[in-house]
Amino acid sequence: MSAERPLPVALLLPGQGSQHPRMAAGLYGYEPVFTASMDEFFDAAGPEGGPLREDWLAERPATELDHVTRSQPLLFAVDLALGRLVLSWGVRPAALLGHSIGELASAVLAGVFDPRDATGLVLDRVGRLAKAPPGGMLAVAASTAEVEPYLSGDVVVGAVNAPRQTILAGPDGPLEKAGRALGEAGFVCRRVPSLSAFHSPMLEPACQGAAERFAAVPKRMPSPPVHSAYTAAPLTRADIDDPSFWARQPVAPVLFWPALEGLLATGDHLLVEVGPGQGLSQVARRHPAVRRGTSTVVSLLPPRPGPPESDRTAVATAATQIRAAGHAITAHADSHGVPTA
Amino acid sequence: MSAFTTDDLFKIMRECAGEEEAVDLSSAAADQEFALLGYDSLALMEAISRVERGYGITLPEETLGDALTPAAFVAAVNTAIADRMPAAGAA
Repeated sequence: MSAERPLPVALLLPGQGSQHPRMAAGLYGYEPVFTASMDEFFDAAGPEGGPLREDWLAERPATELDHVTRSQPLLFAVDLALGRLVLSWGVRPAALLGHSIGELASAVLAGVFDPRDATGLVLDRVGRLAKAPPGGMLAVAASTAEVEPYLSGDVVVGAVNAPRQTILAGPDGPLEKAGRALGEAGFVCRRVPSLSAFHSPMLEPACQGAAERFAAVPKRMPSPPVHSAYTAAPLTRADIDDPSFWARQPVAPVLFWPALEGLLATGDHLLVEVGPGQGLSQVARRHPAVRRGTSTVVSLLPPRPGPPESDRTAVATAATQIRAAGHAITAHADSHGVPTA
Repeated sequence: MSAFTTDDLFKIMRECAGEEEAVDLSSAAADQEFALLGYDSLALMEAISRVERGYGITLPEETLGDALTPAAFVAAVNTAIADRMPAAGAA
């Protein structure tokens, strides 16, 4: 389509809230690169690997997918496996940007962590978080300034997804109270699928001890750069070497929109969402660069859960769109999803 | 002439999403799903609430859903406005 230099690719990796039963499962046993990556994860997960795999593939998982012990490891694994699938096509991203647990998957894709080390770190994290008091997250169609009067010690801004899409996090009772008050004031709210108050101080005690685990594994500078949704800037050497930067990610707010603005301020990109659903794609479409059409968005998976074929069709469509944007795509001989040129 | 137009809707959607920069959507946008225009169910719920309050109408339940297109949304609003008219005239 474009004869001139193609837009550089930036991968977007979604996090908590985008999980759903059998997310991306239509690619398992179908796309070899994706399948190998998932199997590597289940193997690295040790005794937890079997139950994780069973619950991932089940229509009705034994432990629901919104539970921290399922949503976090499986989102990490699926984001990583989809990212590797895109890399296997010969696409060389210029940048990565992950939301919540998606940032850890980005860090693995960019070589900061060894995949097996990272699997251990994710399982260590969820083991700790599972002991945290129950809580939840609430999406509000309002700016951070608009929600400010409704915050309390317990209820905080957990994520800034878009100018008027703010996620609150906190214990169930106070969160419901804030939701009611916001509703009465005319704000539209919706619960985010999560049984934990991610990105809130509620998880602080549960994260203690995690830093030692991050300190114990080797870390390398990312290539390509990882734009962090915690600093709204590319990861620096200081970030990478600071174990508490990683350990505190479940407590710190996710500044996705500021990070996206930072990424697109470096130039226009072809934004490719590698994860379940199209939540980050939808948000990115609101960015002026995408509205104007100078940056574009491609989603690897369908917007809503569907039969296995819909995952496969969506991946094939995404590959076609990336190729149409001027990127050479190499189909592996055993890959189904990529239409041969 | 329609009481409620696609332009009216896009203006409301921009306000709901907090888009400061008004970038004109192409004419084809009216027939694309809201999801593809960057509007998820949260933004759509707010738009429905604003339109209902602004026009004194109640939109049918099935209006909600990000598979909906702006064209279908506008048609539903105009139907609801037309249904309201005789009652308003009789009052």
